[in-house]
Amino acid sequence: MSTDQDVATVTVPTLERIVEHGQVWPALTEKYGVANPTPPWKSSLDAMCDALDKEAKALPFLERRDDEDLLSQGVYESLPFPESQLVSLAHSFVARDLIDEEALAGRMKDVRARLEDQDVC
Amino acid sequence: MTDTAETHDHDHRPPAPQVHEISDFEVLEIALRELAIEKGLFTAEDHRRYTEYFETLGPVPAARLVAKAWLDPDFKALALADGLAASREVGADWLEAPPTGFGTPSDFTAFVVLEDTPKLHHVIVCTLCSCYPRPILGNSPEWYRTPNYRRRIVRSPRAVLAEFGLIIPEDVEIRVEDSNSKNRFMVLPVRPAGTDGWSEDQLAEIVTRDCCIGVALPKPGVTSNAPRDVHPAVNPVPTH
Repeated sequence: MSTDQDVATVTVPTLERIVEHGQVWPALTEKYGVANPTPPWKSSLDAMCDALDKEAKALPFLERRDDEDLLSQGVYESLPFPESQLVSLAHSFVARDLIDEEALAGRMKDVRARLEDQDVC
Repeated sequence: MTDTAETHDHDHRPPAPQVHEISDFEVLEIALRELAIEKGLFTAEDHRRYTEYFETLGPVPAARLVAKAWLDPDFKALALADGLAASREVGADWLEAPPTGFGTPSDFTAFVVLEDTPKLHHVIVCTLCSCYPRPILGNSPEWYRTPNYRRRIVRSPRAVLAEFGLIIPEDVEIRVEDSNSKNRFMVLPVRPAGTDGWSEDQLAEIVTRDCCIGVALPKPGVTSNAPRDVHPAVNPVPTH
């Protein structure tokens, strides 16, 4: 297995903080007594992967999968699936300069504010 | 409007439990998607179509194909000769349904149904990545995607199947079929004993996803996949 660049040498503190916070689906389902085996965002994540694979330029299929294998067994080993798939994808995006980490952190803050605002209504 | 004889007997069961917090992962998925769309990596329209398609997928069509093949010799012959045609009959259209279209990495259209016999057992894998017959079997399980499964099932199939709890006798040949971007497979297991007179529904119920991959055999009374914890290999194949 080889990648064009060793994405595992890049650290992404924003993602490390998410891992540490531990809001993984198994923890949430146990906390709330929910039986659904997969988190609700899984189909959207799979769609993102398919969309990238079809476009095939920004992050070609085999690079994406190789990154996922490398990162899921390495730096994100503690995460269950599909959290490992999601975080590995985000890591690939940042490590391969497709998105900027600061932009990701900023957008996450905006998204959370938006969702929490809807939650209150 | 006339009154009916029915009474309005409201069901006061409490709603099903829900997760009442917004997880970092939910936020991350949305943020990543929005940035990717803004960057032009894909369109929102494409993403919507693929999400909707994914939400239609599951293992039921594969279970139906196996059950029909067990009951109908003509359908079985069709399944073995033309997997795509047989798939259409159970509601899985490999050519028209996937929005990714023909010939893209995710959903290829050379689909073959592999017939097990009492002396031949098939198991599927994708050694390179995790190609899987999604249009008929739904999403692949996590363990199927792991390098340890992909590398080890081709090297030591009998031992790896034993780790799944499936002991294949030594006089039964095991054939590992490697999927790739052009070819997808599923297993047509042998119909088990104890199912005489069963309806198609009853038979389909015991054909689990794991049976169609080849890491389990259908058994009366077993209607779900065994839980499979993913853990590091005891004797991992070195990274190359």
